[in-house]
Amino acid sequence: MDAFGEMFKRFLKTYQKGSLIFCEYEPGDNFFLIQSGRVQIVKIMGDIEKTLDVLKPGEIFGEMAILEEAPRSATAIAMDRVEALEFNRANFEVLMRGNPQIALKLLKLFARRVYDQKRRFMILTLEEVDAKVADVFLMLAEKEPVRMGEVETLELKTTVDDIAHWAAIPTADCRTVLNHFIQQRRIELFADRIVIKNLESFQRMVNSRRKPKT
Amino acid sequence: MPPKAAFYKANSIIYFRGDEGDKVFILNSGKVSLTYEDIETGQEMRDLVKVGEFFGVKSALGRFRREETALVLADCQVVAFSADEFELLVLKNIPLIMKMLKVYSNQLRRIQKQVQTLLGAEEHVDAAKGLFSIGEYYLRNKAYPQATYAFKRYLVYYPSGAAANQALKNIEVAEAYLSRYGTGKGPDVQAAGPAEKTAPQPQAADKAPASDAEQRYYRAVSLISQEKYEDALKEFKGLIAAGPDEEYLSKAQYESGRCLFYLKQYDKAIGLFTQWVQKYPKHPDLRDALYFVGTSYYNMNDKTKAAGIFKKILTMTPESESIYQKTRKLLKQIEGNP
Repeated sequence: MDAFGEMFKRFLKTYQKGSLIFCEYEPGDNFFLIQSGRVQIVKIMGDIEKTLDVLKPGEIFGEMAILEEAPRSATAIAMDRVEALEFNRANFEVLMRGNPQIALKLLKLFARRVYDQKRRFMILTLEEVDAKVADVFLMLAEKEPVRMGEVETLELKTTVDDIAHWAAIPTADCRTVLNHFIQQRRIELFADRIVIKNLESFQRMVNSRRKPKT
Repeated sequence: MPPKAAFYKANSIIYFRGDEGDKVFILNSGKVSLTYEDIETGQEMRDLVKVGEFFGVKSALGRFRREETALVLADCQVVAFSADEFELLVLKNIPLIMKMLKVYSNQLRRIQKQVQTLLGAEEHVDAAKGLFSIGEYYLRNKAYPQATYAFKRYLVYYPSGAAANQALKNIEVAEAYLSRYGTGKGPDVQAAGPAEKTAPQPQAADKAPASDAEQRYYRAVSLISQEKYEDALKEFKGLIAAGPDEEYLSKAQYESGRCLFYLKQYDKAIGLFTQWVQKYPKHPDLRDALYFVGTSYYNMNDKTKAAGIFKKILTMTPESESIYQKTRKLLKQIEGNP
Protein backbone atom coordinates (compact mmCIF):
# COMPACT_ATOMS: atom_id res chain seq x y z
CA MET A 1 0.00 0.00 0.00
CA ASP A 2 1.31 3.46 -0.81
CA ALA A 3 1.76 6.34 1.63
CA PHE A 4 -1.65 7.67 0.73
CA GLY A 5 -3.31 4.36 1.49
CA GLU A 6 -1.43 4.25 4.78
CA MET A 7 -2.75 7.68 5.70
CA PHE A 8 -6.36 6.68 5.10
CA LYS A 9 -6.11 3.19 6.52
CA ARG A 10 -9.11 3.65 8.76
CA PHE A 11 -11.33 3.98 5.69
CA LEU A 12 -10.03 0.76 4.13
CA LYS A 13 -12.52 -2.00 3.36
CA THR A 14 -11.79 -5.40 1.90
CA TYR A 15 -14.15 -7.31 -0.35
CA GLN A 16 -13.76 -10.93 -1.34
CA LYS A 17 -13.76 -11.87 -4.99
CA GLY A 18 -17.29 -12.07 -6.35
CA SER A 19 -18.92 -10.15 -3.52
CA LEU A 20 -21.19 -7.18 -4.10
CA ILE A 21 -19.84 -3.86 -2.89
CA PHE A 22 -23.18 -2.27 -3.46
CA CYS A 23 -26.27 -3.14 -5.35
CA GLU A 24 -28.39 -1.21 -7.82
CA TYR A 25 -31.34 0.57 -6.12
CA GLU A 26 -29.67 0.42 -2.72
CA PRO A 27 -29.61 3.83 -1.06
CA GLY A 28 -26.07 5.12 -1.43
CA ASP A 29 -24.22 7.45 0.87
CA ASN A 30 -20.62 6.49 0.39
CA PHE A 31 -18.16 6.28 -2.45
CA PHE A 32 -15.00 4.31 -3.04
CA LEU A 33 -11.45 4.69 -4.20
CA ILE A 34 -9.91 1.41 -5.37
CA GLN A 35 -6.57 0.53 -3.78
CA SER A 36 -6.16 -2.97 -5.20
CA GLY A 37 -8.13 -5.37 -7.37
CA ARG A 38 -10.70 -4.66 -10.06
CA VAL A 39 -14.33 -3.65 -9.70
CA GLN A 40 -16.96 -4.51 -12.25
CA ILE A 41 -19.87 -2.12 -12.65
CA VAL A 42 -22.96 -3.90 -13.95
CA LYS A 43 -26.57 -3.12 -14.55
CA ILE A 44 -29.33 -5.63 -14.93
CA MET A 45 -31.37 -4.84 -18.00
CA GLY A 46 -34.26 -7.18 -18.61
CA ASP A 47 -32.69 -10.53 -18.03
CA ILE A 48 -29.12 -9.69 -18.89
CA GLU A 49 -26.39 -8.48 -16.62
CA LYS A 50 -24.63 -5.84 -18.64
CA THR A 51 -21.10 -4.74 -17.80
CA LEU A 52 -20.87 -0.97 -17.91
CA ASP A 53 -17.28 -0.65 -16.81
CA VAL A 54 -14.32 -2.40 -15.24
CA LEU A 55 -12.42 -0.15 -12.85
CA LYS A 56 -8.83 -0.47 -11.70
CA PRO A 57 -6.82 0.75 -8.71
CA GLY A 58 -6.80 4.54 -8.48
CA GLU A 59 -10.29 4.84 -9.88
CA ILE A 60 -13.34 6.13 -8.09
CA PHE A 61 -16.82 4.65 -8.06
CA GLY A 62 -20.14 5.35 -6.37
CA GLU A 63 -19.25 9.04 -6.50
CA MET A 64 -22.80 10.16 -7.20
CA ALA A 65 -23.47 9.57 -3.51
CA ILE A 66 -21.54 12.77 -2.81
CA LEU A 67 -24.34 14.70 -4.46
CA GLU A 68 -27.35 13.11 -2.94
CA GLU A 69 -28.54 10.00 -1.26
CA ALA A 70 -30.20 8.61 -4.36
CA PRO A 71 -30.50 4.89 -5.05
CA ARG A 72 -27.44 3.41 -6.75
CA SER A 73 -27.82 3.33 -10.51
CA ALA A 74 -25.69 0.22 -10.94
CA THR A 75 -24.18 -2.69 -9.04
CA ALA A 76 -20.49 -2.85 -8.08
CA ILE A 77 -18.92 -6.30 -7.87
CA ALA A 78 -15.42 -7.20 -6.67
CA MET A 79 -13.76 -9.01 -9.61
CA ASP A 80 -10.74 -9.86 -7.50
CA ARG A 81 -10.09 -9.47 -3.82
CA VAL A 82 -10.65 -5.73 -3.67
CA GLU A 83 -9.32 -3.21 -1.21
CA ALA A 84 -11.03 0.14 -1.41
CA LEU A 85 -11.15 3.27 0.69
CA GLU A 86 -14.69 4.12 1.60
CA PHE A 87 -15.73 7.72 2.13
CA ASN A 88 -18.94 9.53 2.79
CA ARG A 89 -20.06 13.12 2.55
CA ALA A 90 -18.85 13.84 6.07
CA ASN A 91 -15.22 12.89 5.49
CA PHE A 92 -15.17 13.74 1.81
CA GLU A 93 -13.71 17.18 2.27
CA VAL A 94 -10.88 15.85 4.45
CA LEU A 95 -9.97 13.46 1.67
CA MET A 96 -10.09 16.15 -1.01
CA ARG A 97 -7.99 18.62 0.95
CA GLY A 98 -5.37 16.00 1.61
CA ASN A 99 -5.48 14.77 -1.97
CA PRO A 100 -5.95 17.30 -4.71
CA GLN A 101 -5.24 14.53 -7.27
CA ILE A 102 -8.44 12.79 -6.29
CA ALA A 103 -10.32 16.06 -6.26
CA LEU A 104 -9.11 16.70 -9.79
CA LYS A 105 -10.09 13.23 -10.90
CA LEU A 106 -13.53 13.79 -9.47
CA LEU A 107 -13.73 17.19 -11.10
CA LYS A 108 -13.05 15.64 -14.50
CA LEU A 109 -15.57 12.91 -13.84
CA PHE A 110 -18.21 15.49 -12.98
CA ALA A 111 -17.39 17.64 -16.01
CA ARG A 112 -17.85 14.57 -18.19
CA ARG A 113 -21.07 13.62 -16.42
CA VAL A 114 -22.56 17.08 -16.84
CA TYR A 115 -21.79 16.87 -20.54
CA ASP A 116 -23.19 13.34 -20.89
CA GLN A 117 -26.37 14.26 -19.07
CA LYS A 118 -26.84 17.39 -21.17
CA ARG A 119 -26.37 15.30 -24.26
CA ARG A 120 -28.92 12.83 -22.96
CA PHE A 121 -31.31 15.66 -22.30
CA MET A 122 -30.93 16.79 -25.93
CA ILE A 123 -31.90 13.32 -27.12
CA LEU A 124 -34.93 13.20 -24.89
CA THR A 125 -36.26 16.58 -26.03
CA LEU A 126 -36.69 15.28 -29.58
CA GLU A 127 -40.26 14.30 -30.17
CA GLU A 128 -40.19 11.54 -32.75
CA VAL A 129 -38.82 8.13 -31.93
CA ASP A 130 -36.76 7.88 -35.12
CA ALA A 131 -35.08 11.22 -34.41
CA LYS A 132 -34.25 10.06 -30.89
CA VAL A 133 -32.62 6.93 -32.24
CA ALA A 134 -30.71 8.96 -34.83
CA ASP A 135 -29.48 11.31 -32.11
CA VAL A 136 -28.28 8.35 -30.04
CA PHE A 137 -26.15 7.39 -33.08
CA LEU A 138 -24.74 10.91 -33.14
CA MET A 139 -24.04 10.89 -29.44
CA LEU A 140 -22.22 7.55 -29.66
CA ALA A 141 -20.32 8.81 -32.71
CA GLU A 142 -19.15 11.86 -30.74
CA LYS A 143 -17.42 9.53 -28.32
CA GLU A 144 -15.45 7.99 -31.20
CA PRO A 145 -12.08 9.47 -32.15
CA VAL A 146 -13.06 10.05 -35.79
CA ARG A 147 -14.66 13.23 -37.08
CA MET A 148 -17.81 13.34 -39.12
CA GLY A 149 -17.10 13.41 -42.84
CA GLU A 150 -13.74 11.72 -42.44
CA VAL A 151 -15.10 8.23 -42.77
CA GLU A 152 -17.72 6.62 -44.99
CA THR A 153 -19.09 4.24 -42.43
CA LEU A 154 -18.88 4.19 -38.69
CA GLU A 155 -19.02 1.11 -36.53
CA LEU A 156 -20.60 1.59 -33.11
CA LYS A 157 -20.16 -1.05 -30.43
CA THR A 158 -23.70 -1.00 -29.15
CA THR A 159 -26.88 -3.02 -28.99
CA VAL A 160 -30.60 -2.49 -29.55
CA ASP A 161 -31.11 -2.52 -25.76
CA ASP A 162 -28.46 0.16 -25.29
CA ILE A 163 -29.99 2.44 -27.86
CA ALA A 164 -33.46 1.91 -26.45
CA HIS A 165 -32.07 2.77 -23.03
CA TRP A 166 -30.42 6.01 -24.19
CA ALA A 167 -33.48 7.06 -26.16
CA ALA A 168 -35.74 6.03 -23.24
CA ILE A 169 -38.08 4.13 -25.55
CA PRO A 170 -39.32 0.54 -25.39
CA THR A 171 -36.93 -1.96 -26.98
CA ALA A 172 -39.66 -3.10 -29.39
CA ASP A 173 -40.13 0.47 -30.69
CA CYS A 174 -36.40 0.85 -31.02
CA ARG A 175 -36.21 -2.34 -33.07
CA THR A 176 -38.97 -1.08 -35.38
CA VAL A 177 -37.05 2.14 -36.05
CA LEU A 178 -33.81 0.25 -36.61
CA ASN A 179 -35.53 -2.15 -39.02
CA HIS A 180 -36.81 0.82 -40.94
CA PHE A 181 -33.25 2.23 -41.18
CA ILE A 182 -32.01 -1.19 -42.30
CA GLN A 183 -34.62 -1.29 -45.08
CA GLN A 184 -33.45 2.13 -46.17
CA ARG A 185 -29.91 0.70 -46.21
CA ARG A 186 -28.73 3.38 -43.84
CA ILE A 187 -27.47 1.01 -41.16
CA GLU A 188 -26.47 -2.61 -40.65
CA LEU A 189 -27.38 -4.28 -37.41
CA PHE A 190 -25.30 -6.98 -35.75
CA ALA A 191 -25.61 -8.61 -32.35
CA ASP A 192 -22.89 -6.50 -30.78
CA ARG A 193 -22.52 -3.53 -33.14
CA ILE A 194 -24.27 -1.24 -35.55
CA VAL A 195 -22.67 0.03 -38.75
CA ILE A 196 -23.81 3.52 -39.70
CA LYS A 197 -23.55 4.11 -43.45
CA ASN A 198 -24.02 7.84 -43.63
CA LEU A 199 -23.75 9.65 -40.35
CA GLU A 200 -24.31 13.05 -41.90
CA SER A 201 -27.76 12.07 -43.11
CA PHE A 202 -28.67 11.32 -39.50
CA GLN A 203 -27.17 14.65 -38.45
CA ARG A 204 -29.39 16.46 -40.98
CA MET A 205 -32.40 14.52 -39.80
CA VAL A 206 -31.80 15.48 -36.15
CA ASN A 207 -31.08 19.12 -37.02
CA SER A 208 -34.30 19.42 -38.96
CA ARG A 209 -36.33 17.99 -36.08
CA ARG A 210 -34.67 20.12 -33.44
CA LYS A 211 -36.43 23.40 -34.07
CA PRO A 212 -35.71 25.97 -31.42
CA LYS A 213 -38.85 26.66 -29.47
CA THR A 214 -39.84 30.27 -29.21
CA MET B 1 6.87 26.29 -21.34
CA PRO B 2 4.85 28.79 -19.34
CA PRO B 3 1.32 29.64 -20.40
CA LYS B 4 1.20 32.42 -22.97
CA ALA B 5 -0.70 35.66 -23.05
CA ALA B 6 -2.68 36.24 -26.24
CA PHE B 7 -4.47 39.27 -27.61
CA TYR B 8 -7.77 39.21 -29.45
CA LYS B 9 -9.44 42.05 -31.36
CA ALA B 10 -13.07 42.96 -30.80
CA ASN B 11 -15.50 40.78 -32.79
CA SER B 12 -13.05 37.92 -33.14
CA ILE B 13 -13.85 34.43 -31.93
CA ILE B 14 -11.63 32.61 -29.44
CA TYR B 15 -13.39 29.33 -30.08
CA PHE B 16 -16.61 28.09 -31.63
CA ARG B 17 -19.21 25.84 -30.17
CA GLY B 18 -18.44 22.30 -31.40
CA ASP B 19 -14.68 22.91 -31.59
CA GLU B 20 -12.48 20.38 -29.91
CA GLY B 21 -11.30 22.14 -26.80
CA ASP B 22 -7.98 21.44 -25.14
CA LYS B 23 -7.28 24.90 -23.75
CA VAL B 24 -8.42 26.79 -20.71
CA PHE B 25 -8.41 30.58 -20.75
CA ILE B 26 -8.26 33.24 -18.13
CA LEU B 27 -9.44 36.73 -19.01
CA ASN B 28 -6.91 39.40 -18.04
CA SER B 29 -8.55 42.44 -19.61
CA GLY B 30 -11.23 43.35 -22.14
CA LYS B 31 -14.63 41.77 -22.71
CA VAL B 32 -15.55 38.24 -23.73
CA SER B 33 -19.01 36.70 -23.94
CA LEU B 34 -19.98 33.06 -24.05
CA THR B 35 -23.03 32.18 -26.13
CA TYR B 36 -24.76 28.85 -25.82
CA GLU B 37 -28.13 27.30 -26.41
CA ASP B 38 -30.33 26.73 -23.41
CA ILE B 39 -31.01 23.01 -23.53
CA GLU B 40 -34.55 23.38 -22.30
CA THR B 41 -35.83 26.23 -24.43
CA GLY B 42 -33.38 26.08 -27.32
CA GLN B 43 -32.92 29.83 -26.89
CA GLU B 44 -29.58 31.48 -27.31
CA MET B 45 -28.12 32.55 -24.00
CA ARG B 46 -25.22 34.87 -23.33
CA ASP B 47 -22.92 35.13 -20.31
CA LEU B 48 -20.20 37.72 -19.82
CA VAL B 49 -16.82 36.52 -18.57
CA LYS B 50 -15.52 38.65 -15.71
CA VAL B 51 -11.92 39.78 -15.69
CA GLY B 52 -9.91 37.22 -13.70
CA GLU B 53 -12.31 34.39 -14.51
CA PHE B 54 -11.51 31.14 -16.25
CA PHE B 55 -13.46 29.97 -19.27
CA GLY B 56 -13.41 26.87 -21.46
CA VAL B 57 -12.62 24.80 -18.37
CA LYS B 58 -15.21 22.08 -18.46
CA SER B 59 -14.73 20.97 -22.06
CA ALA B 60 -10.94 21.01 -21.68
CA LEU B 61 -11.02 18.99 -18.47
CA GLY B 62 -13.70 16.58 -19.65
CA ARG B 63 -12.10 16.33 -23.12
CA PHE B 64 -15.27 17.06 -25.05
CA ARG B 65 -16.24 19.65 -27.60
CA ARG B 66 -16.99 23.25 -26.73
CA GLU B 67 -20.58 23.82 -25.76
CA GLU B 68 -20.37 27.55 -26.23
CA THR B 69 -18.86 30.13 -28.55
CA ALA B 70 -16.40 32.58 -26.99
CA LEU B 71 -16.83 35.92 -28.72
CA VAL B 72 -14.61 38.95 -28.05
CA LEU B 73 -16.75 42.05 -27.43
CA ALA B 74 -13.88 44.45 -26.75
CA ASP B 75 -10.14 44.03 -27.37
CA CYS B 76 -8.87 41.63 -24.77
CA GLN B 77 -5.89 39.88 -23.33
CA VAL B 78 -6.23 36.26 -22.23
CA VAL B 79 -3.80 33.67 -20.93
CA ALA B 80 -4.18 30.27 -22.51
CA PHE B 81 -3.28 27.11 -20.61
CA SER B 82 -3.17 23.63 -22.02
CA ALA B 83 -5.42 21.22 -20.11
CA ASP B 84 -2.30 19.69 -18.51
CA GLU B 85 -0.93 23.08 -17.45
CA PHE B 86 -4.30 23.96 -16.01
CA GLU B 87 -4.39 20.71 -14.06
CA LEU B 88 -0.97 21.44 -12.55
CA LEU B 89 -2.16 24.90 -11.64
CA VAL B 90 -5.32 23.79 -9.86
CA LEU B 91 -3.53 20.99 -8.04
CA LYS B 92 -1.65 23.72 -6.16
CA ASN B 93 -4.86 25.54 -5.40
CA ILE B 94 -7.12 23.31 -3.37
CA PRO B 95 -9.71 26.01 -2.55
CA LEU B 96 -10.15 26.53 -6.30
CA ILE B 97 -10.69 22.81 -6.89
CA MET B 98 -13.21 22.66 -4.05
CA LYS B 99 -15.04 25.65 -5.45
CA MET B 100 -15.16 24.12 -8.92
CA LEU B 101 -16.32 20.79 -7.50
CA LYS B 102 -19.22 22.56 -5.84
CA VAL B 103 -20.13 24.37 -9.05
CA TYR B 104 -19.97 21.21 -11.13
CA SER B 105 -21.84 19.10 -8.64
CA ASN B 106 -24.59 21.70 -8.56
CA GLN B 107 -24.74 21.70 -12.35
CA LEU B 108 -24.80 17.94 -12.37
CA ARG B 109 -27.58 17.81 -9.83
CA ARG B 110 -29.61 20.29 -11.83
CA ILE B 111 -29.19 18.56 -15.17
CA GLN B 112 -30.00 15.21 -13.61
CA LYS B 113 -33.23 16.63 -12.27
CA GLN B 114 -34.05 17.94 -15.73
CA VAL B 115 -33.37 14.55 -17.28
CA GLN B 116 -35.48 12.84 -14.64
CA THR B 117 -38.34 15.22 -15.30
CA LEU B 118 -38.24 14.40 -19.00
CA LEU B 119 -38.07 10.70 -18.34
CA GLY B 120 -41.10 11.06 -16.13
CA ALA B 121 -42.64 8.28 -14.16
CA GLU B 122 -42.17 5.54 -16.74
CA GLU B 123 -38.49 5.02 -16.06
CA HIS B 124 -38.83 5.66 -12.40
CA VAL B 125 -38.79 2.28 -10.74
CA ASP B 126 -39.67 2.00 -7.11
CA ALA B 127 -36.31 1.53 -5.38
CA ALA B 128 -37.68 -1.15 -3.06
CA LYS B 129 -39.08 -3.18 -5.93
CA GLY B 130 -35.93 -2.61 -7.93
CA LEU B 131 -33.68 -3.86 -5.14
CA PHE B 132 -35.86 -6.94 -4.70
CA SER B 133 -35.80 -7.65 -8.43
CA ILE B 134 -31.98 -7.58 -8.41
CA GLY B 135 -32.06 -10.30 -5.77
CA GLU B 136 -34.51 -12.28 -7.88
CA TYR B 137 -32.29 -11.92 -10.91
CA TYR B 138 -29.28 -13.33 -9.05
CA LEU B 139 -31.33 -16.09 -7.48
CA ARG B 140 -32.69 -17.15 -10.88
CA ASN B 141 -29.14 -17.19 -12.17
CA LYS B 142 -27.96 -19.21 -9.18
CA ALA B 143 -25.58 -16.49 -8.01
CA TYR B 144 -26.50 -17.26 -4.41
CA PRO B 145 -24.14 -14.95 -2.50
CA GLN B 146 -25.17 -12.00 -4.68
CA ALA B 147 -28.84 -12.87 -4.26
CA THR B 148 -28.37 -13.12 -0.49
CA TYR B 149 -26.67 -9.74 -0.42
CA ALA B 150 -29.49 -8.03 -2.35
CA PHE B 151 -32.27 -9.57 -0.24
CA LYS B 152 -30.42 -8.78 2.98
CA ARG B 153 -30.07 -5.18 1.88
CA TYR B 154 -33.77 -5.17 1.08
CA LEU B 155 -34.50 -6.27 4.64
CA VAL B 156 -32.15 -3.63 6.05
CA TYR B 157 -33.86 -0.79 4.22
CA TYR B 158 -37.41 -2.11 4.08
CA PRO B 159 -37.75 -4.37 7.14
CA SER B 160 -41.52 -4.16 6.93
CA GLY B 161 -41.69 -3.77 3.16
CA ALA B 162 -44.26 -5.58 1.04
CA ALA B 163 -41.79 -8.27 0.03
CA ALA B 164 -39.91 -8.55 3.33
CA ASN B 165 -41.13 -12.04 4.04
CA GLN B 166 -40.41 -13.24 0.55
CA ALA B 167 -36.95 -11.72 0.87
CA LEU B 168 -36.35 -13.72 4.07
CA LYS B 169 -37.54 -16.85 2.36
CA ASN B 170 -35.33 -16.19 -0.63
CA ILE B 171 -32.30 -15.67 1.61
CA GLU B 172 -32.93 -19.06 3.16
CA VAL B 173 -33.23 -20.63 -0.27
CA ALA B 174 -30.07 -18.94 -1.51
CA GLU B 175 -28.09 -19.93 1.58
CA ALA B 176 -29.38 -23.49 1.55
CA TYR B 177 -28.70 -23.92 -2.17
CA LEU B 178 -25.27 -22.39 -1.83
CA SER B 179 -24.24 -24.87 0.81
CA ARG B 180 -25.96 -27.79 -0.88
CA TYR B 181 -25.18 -27.22 -4.54
CA GLY B 182 -22.71 -24.33 -4.78
CA THR B 183 -22.77 -21.23 -6.94
CA GLY B 184 -24.16 -21.71 -10.43
CA LYS B 185 -25.71 -25.06 -9.54
CA GLY B 186 -28.96 -26.34 -8.11
CA PRO B 187 -32.58 -26.50 -9.21
CA ASP B 188 -34.24 -23.55 -10.91
CA VAL B 189 -35.80 -21.16 -8.49
CA GLN B 190 -38.99 -19.23 -8.96
CA ALA B 191 -37.78 -16.46 -6.74
CA ALA B 192 -41.12 -14.78 -6.14
CA GLY B 193 -43.08 -17.99 -6.35
CA PRO B 194 -45.27 -19.50 -3.66
CA ALA B 195 -43.55 -20.36 -0.44
CA GLU B 196 -44.10 -24.13 -0.73
CA LYS B 197 -42.08 -24.39 -3.89
CA THR B 198 -39.09 -22.42 -2.73
CA ALA B 199 -38.91 -23.70 0.82
CA PRO B 200 -35.52 -25.26 1.33
CA GLN B 201 -35.15 -28.55 3.08
CA PRO B 202 -31.86 -28.21 4.88
CA GLN B 203 -32.53 -31.53 6.58
CA ALA B 204 -32.60 -33.29 3.20
CA ALA B 205 -30.86 -36.63 2.90
CA ASP B 206 -27.84 -35.51 0.86
CA LYS B 207 -26.48 -33.58 3.82
CA ALA B 208 -25.34 -34.75 7.20
CA PRO B 209 -28.47 -35.27 9.30
CA ALA B 210 -29.43 -32.03 10.98
CA SER B 211 -29.65 -31.94 14.74
CA ASP B 212 -33.07 -31.79 16.31
CA ALA B 213 -32.41 -28.20 17.39
CA GLU B 214 -31.40 -27.22 13.88
CA GLN B 215 -34.56 -28.75 12.40
CA ARG B 216 -36.80 -27.01 14.88
CA TYR B 217 -34.97 -23.76 14.35
CA TYR B 218 -35.43 -23.83 10.58
CA ARG B 219 -39.06 -24.85 10.93
CA ALA B 220 -39.61 -21.84 13.14
CA VAL B 221 -37.70 -19.43 10.91
CA SER B 222 -39.74 -20.59 7.96
CA LEU B 223 -42.89 -19.83 9.98
CA ILE B 224 -41.60 -16.29 10.48
CA SER B 225 -41.24 -15.86 6.77
CA GLN B 226 -44.86 -16.97 6.35
CA GLU B 227 -45.80 -14.29 8.87
CA LYS B 228 -47.01 -16.97 11.29
CA TYR B 229 -45.31 -15.24 14.19
CA GLU B 230 -47.34 -16.85 16.95
CA ASP B 231 -46.66 -20.33 15.64
CA ALA B 232 -43.00 -19.45 15.19
CA LEU B 233 -42.87 -18.17 18.74
CA LYS B 234 -44.31 -21.44 20.04
CA GLU B 235 -41.75 -23.40 18.05
CA PHE B 236 -38.90 -21.28 19.47
CA LYS B 237 -40.25 -21.71 23.02
CA GLY B 238 -40.28 -25.47 22.55
CA LEU B 239 -36.75 -25.34 21.18
CA ILE B 240 -35.48 -23.26 24.10
CA ALA B 241 -37.24 -25.53 26.61
CA ALA B 242 -35.49 -28.57 25.10
CA GLY B 243 -32.15 -27.07 26.15
CA PRO B 244 -30.30 -26.75 22.85
CA ASP B 245 -26.62 -25.88 22.57
CA GLU B 246 -25.52 -22.29 23.00
CA GLU B 247 -25.63 -21.51 19.27
CA TYR B 248 -29.28 -22.43 18.83
CA LEU B 249 -30.24 -21.07 22.22
CA SER B 250 -28.97 -17.60 21.33
CA LYS B 251 -30.47 -17.79 17.84
CA ALA B 252 -33.85 -18.95 19.11
CA GLN B 253 -34.00 -16.20 21.72
CA TYR B 254 -33.04 -13.56 19.23
CA GLU B 255 -35.65 -14.76 16.73
CA SER B 256 -38.32 -14.92 19.48
CA GLY B 257 -37.62 -11.25 20.05
CA ARG B 258 -38.19 -10.55 16.38
CA CYS B 259 -41.50 -12.44 16.50
CA LEU B 260 -42.62 -10.35 19.47
CA PHE B 261 -41.59 -7.22 17.63
CA TYR B 262 -43.57 -8.17 14.53
CA LEU B 263 -46.52 -9.09 16.76
CA LYS B 264 -46.24 -5.53 18.08
CA GLN B 265 -45.72 -6.85 21.61
CA TYR B 266 -43.08 -4.21 22.07
CA ASP B 267 -42.87 -4.45 25.87
CA LYS B 268 -42.06 -8.12 25.67
CA ALA B 269 -39.70 -7.64 22.75
CA ILE B 270 -37.78 -4.99 24.70
CA GLY B 271 -37.57 -7.25 27.74
CA LEU B 272 -36.31 -10.18 25.73
CA PHE B 273 -33.77 -8.27 23.66
CA THR B 274 -32.48 -6.44 26.73
CA GLN B 275 -31.83 -9.77 28.46
CA TRP B 276 -30.28 -11.13 25.31
CA VAL B 277 -27.94 -8.17 24.96
CA GLN B 278 -26.78 -8.58 28.57
CA LYS B 279 -26.20 -12.26 28.02
CA TYR B 280 -24.33 -11.91 24.71
CA PRO B 281 -22.62 -8.53 24.91
CA LYS B 282 -20.10 -9.49 22.23
CA HIS B 283 -22.53 -11.10 19.77
CA PRO B 284 -22.22 -9.85 16.17
CA ASP B 285 -25.98 -9.19 16.09
CA LEU B 286 -25.76 -7.03 19.20
CA ARG B 287 -26.46 -3.75 17.42
CA ASP B 288 -29.34 -5.28 15.50
CA ALA B 289 -30.84 -6.39 18.78
CA LEU B 290 -30.43 -2.87 20.17
CA TYR B 291 -32.00 -1.53 17.02
CA PHE B 292 -35.07 -3.66 17.72
CA VAL B 293 -35.17 -2.31 21.27
CA GLY B 294 -34.88 1.25 19.98
CA THR B 295 -37.54 0.86 17.31
CA SER B 296 -39.83 -0.85 19.84
CA TYR B 297 -39.61 2.24 22.07
CA TYR B 298 -40.02 4.38 19.00
CA ASN B 299 -43.17 2.52 17.97
CA MET B 300 -44.49 2.80 21.53
CA ASN B 301 -43.94 6.53 21.16
CA ASP B 302 -41.36 6.57 23.95
CA LYS B 303 -39.11 8.89 21.98
CA THR B 304 -36.74 9.66 24.86
CA LYS B 305 -35.83 6.04 25.49
CA ALA B 306 -35.68 5.33 21.75
CA ALA B 307 -33.27 8.24 21.28
CA GLY B 308 -31.11 6.95 24.13
CA ILE B 309 -30.80 3.53 22.52
CA PHE B 310 -30.21 4.98 19.07
CA LYS B 311 -27.43 7.21 20.38
CA LYS B 312 -25.83 4.20 21.97
CA ILE B 313 -25.92 2.31 18.65
CA LEU B 314 -24.30 5.26 16.90
CA THR B 315 -21.41 5.34 19.37
CA MET B 316 -20.59 1.71 18.73
CA THR B 317 -21.02 1.64 14.95
CA PRO B 318 -18.75 2.97 12.20
CA GLU B 319 -20.50 5.57 10.08
CA SER B 320 -20.03 3.49 6.99
CA GLU B 321 -22.38 0.75 8.16
CA SER B 322 -25.96 0.74 7.06
CA ILE B 323 -27.29 0.29 10.58
CA TYR B 324 -25.60 3.57 11.44
CA GLN B 325 -27.50 5.31 8.65
CA LYS B 326 -30.83 3.69 9.54
CA THR B 327 -30.40 4.60 13.17
CA ARG B 328 -29.32 8.14 12.42
CA LYS B 329 -32.40 8.61 10.24
CA LEU B 330 -34.77 7.56 13.01
CA LEU B 331 -32.85 9.64 15.52
CA LYS B 332 -33.12 12.66 13.26
CA GLN B 333 -36.86 12.09 12.97
CA ILE B 334 -37.14 12.08 16.74
CA GLU B 335 -35.01 15.18 17.09
CA GLY B 336 -36.96 16.83 14.29
CA ASN B 337 -40.34 16.42 16.04
CA PRO B 338 -39.84 15.49 19.65
